[in-house]
Amino acid sequence: MDKISDYILKAGTIDRRWIFLIIGLAVLLPLFFPLGLPIRATNATQKVYDAVEALEENSKVLVSFEYGPSTKPEIHPMAIGLLRHLFTNGHKVFVTCLWPDGQFMADEALDEVAKEEFDLTYGEDYVILGFRPGNEAVVKGMVSNIRKLYTTDARGTLVDNIPLMKNINKVADFDFIFSASAGYPGTVEWVQYASDPTGVPLSTGTTSIMVNDIMPMVNSGQVKGILAGMPGAAEYEALIGTPGIGTSGMDAQSIAHLVIVLFIIFGNITYFIETQRSKKY
Amino acid sequence: MIWKRQIPILIATVIGFATLFGWFIDHPGIESFVNDDATQWYDILASFAIFLGALNLMKLQGKKVFKQQSGWQYSLFAIGGFFFAIVAGFIYKGNDAVEWGVHVTSKGTLFKWMFDYMFTPLSATMFALLAFFVASASYRAFRVRNLEATLLLVSGIIIMVGRVPLGSSISSWFIMYLMVLIVSIAVNIKLKDKKITFSTFLGGVLIVTIWGSSLGWPIDQPGLFYLPILQDWIYNNPNVAGARAIMIGIGLGIFATSIRYILGIEKSYIGE
Amino acid sequence: MLKDKEFWLVAGGISLAFIIYWLSGYPLFKEERIVMFLVIVIMSANLIYYTRFARRGGEIFLRAIPGLKAVEEAVGRSTEMGKSVLYVPGIMDMDQVETVAGVIILGHVSKMTSRYETSLNVPVSRSIVMKAARETVREAYTMEGRPDLFQDDMVHYITDDQFAYAAGVNGIMVREKPAACLYMGKFFAESLILAETGNSIGAIQIAGTASQSQIPFFVTACDYTLIGEEFFAASAYLSQTPELMGGLKGQDMMKAGVTTAILISLLMRILFDLGLIKWNIISILTVQ
Repeated sequence: MDKISDYILKAGTIDRRWIFLIIGLAVLLPLFFPLGLPIRATNATQKVYDAVEALEENSKVLVSFEYGPSTKPEIHPMAIGLLRHLFTNGHKVFVTCLWPDGQFMADEALDEVAKEEFDLTYGEDYVILGFRPGNEAVVKGMVSNIRKLYTTDARGTLVDNIPLMKNINKVADFDFIFSASAGYPGTVEWVQYASDPTGVPLSTGTTSIMVNDIMPMVNSGQVKGILAGMPGAAEYEALIGTPGIGTSGMDAQSIAHLVIVLFIIFGNITYFIETQRSKKY
Repeated sequence: MIWKRQIPILIATVIGFATLFGWFIDHPGIESFVNDDATQWYDILASFAIFLGALNLMKLQGKKVFKQQSGWQYSLFAIGGFFFAIVAGFIYKGNDAVEWGVHVTSKGTLFKWMFDYMFTPLSATMFALLAFFVASASYRAFRVRNLEATLLLVSGIIIMVGRVPLGSSISSWFIMYLMVLIVSIAVNIKLKDKKITFSTFLGGVLIVTIWGSSLGWPIDQPGLFYLPILQDWIYNNPNVAGARAIMIGIGLGIFATSIRYILGIEKSYIGE
Repeated sequence: MLKDKEFWLVAGGISLAFIIYWLSGYPLFKEERIVMFLVIVIMSANLIYYTRFARRGGEIFLRAIPGLKAVEEAVGRSTEMGKSVLYVPGIMDMDQVETVAGVIILGHVSKMTSRYETSLNVPVSRSIVMKAARETVREAYTMEGRPDLFQDDMVHYITDDQFAYAAGVNGIMVREKPAACLYMGKFFAESLILAETGNSIGAIQIAGTASQSQIPFFVTACDYTLIGEEFFAASAYLSQTPELMGGLKGQDMMKAGVTTAILISLLMRILFDLGLIKWNIISILTVQ
């Protein structure tokens, strides 16, 4: 028994680089050898799905991209899932970006979904208004007068010449807002300055870390559900019936979480043995 | 001295009061100032200030290279990257079919290439480091030192496992058997009586087995022991309650600090 | 700060002006926001009261905040080891209250580093923060009588991008191995990267932030963490000036007021839902 305890104590002083290696393998291997674990949607994800399903046909939806390459693995899958859902249901999509990186992400997502999958027409089915600097001032500006803020779209076309922009002058002219957000400015600013004052319903997708900040707003009904990180993206893909990169990442995330839990349990066993020994001696 | 002390405080006070109380005034000019202009003034200042930062960066990195200080070779990358970005943004498009400005996101341009093949992998790599650091931090920090640490540990494990598909594959009956085991271990540590420990363990196993058999072993019943339902409850109840309380405290702290700046009580930001 | 007579004259004048404005039909005032206006006035009055109370010599009790006590200890440790103090004032700009609070705490830390002749390294993520922080540090060194120790390059700009900044600061930590790392300001996902790297080099780490989602990471990886309001209280705590300590007391009283309001509102809402009263308190608490 003592020998086992000694061995556990020795293993407990493991160099952190071994932990990094094990985590690396725990993430990498399931990507090559998928487990196909079933995905069950949570209430928060279901609320987002129901909010989008409840939209009338041809609704005008404002989608805001507030993430960059670093948070792309978490948020891009949910953005793509949402676009698929919106285009399947025949809605019109208007894209804006509060982050400069967001425009790159929006271009990529719309190229993949709107252009290649659905073969939609730019300017008639969707439009990218693009990035404007100013953080929450952009949101406030859109609430009062979009055309003052956006004279041209992201491709340099005058907004007045885009057919889809007819009768769109302010945020209240939209039927729904979705914020794909990784930080500031993001969901909080959309709720504070756009959704709450105008009454336009809003849903969001955020990184897992940010869910804590947004959850009080979801519970109070200010935000209609939340897609929480990659699990949220995978759940949404399951609900719309089109598995994508979110789903494929969940096996890796499951195993990685399990490995971390095992490390924590092992660390506590080590701590327990150390405490017992120090009490004994 | 008046320029370094009284004028800055006066500017902070006037603009602070104008922005604060402007929210209550129903006048288009004032509303426009509060909603649009005030924040945009700051963004314009910050945009021009970027030159200061860039010059400082080049000065420091250049000094390292010229004086051949330790690690000067890495400074060449910093300087090279800086000028490469300027060239890609302002000098060389790479695709003559697109206009300046739009070239930043258009296909085939040098800037887009830089974004896709340099900036994106570097950003993603740095963010990915978090996965490793979370593991090493959790391993080091999550210890059963006292009741609060134990609650943190248990809720952390429930949320980590319950949040992912693996958690929904774990039957609630498995969790119940695990709890029977943990309770038996705790009884053994406390009472140190083999008979009582064995009775507790056996009793627990029998209860769970009979109960499970009678219900047909549904994976998500009883809900109290089903990890996804449990993690949902922890997320929506104690977690949100704590988050709200901290949010209220932080909001009051921000209000009090801001009022101190506006009223000129706090003057440290001008170096006093 | 105004003397008592001057203060009451000014306060009386403002109150009279407001009463006249109100009685003349409050032109241009958004009536639906009156509750918010009154709340702001009451909270401000409360803050001013306690600030003046402290200034007049009133006793203010501040509980010990271990993280702030540890700041001097951390600077002392760096001095003994002959290493530098690394100070990170967050990754946001001066339009965030947390960044301003971080720069203010930097001023106090600079006083300590100038006193102990410890080198200070402040990498920043925004140009305006660089200028403000530089002025703060320069003033601190001058006030301590050590302007000779101050160098402009103590406060230097790295980059605006979040993770590039984290990479830069990590590089500084790994190369220079500071003995103390202080993180005071607004942080996002890079918080754990910074804190874990600081931990790996064996530095004493003190963090302070009001970024709710990053507090758990700092608590896990740092030796001391100032959570939420403790961070905003740091300036008062470190300077011990009566005005700031009074402001802190005012803040606490505001919290007591908010708690009371929540409990009363809860009771009134229950009574409304049970049909015992006809007036819905939520209608006045909702900000228009």
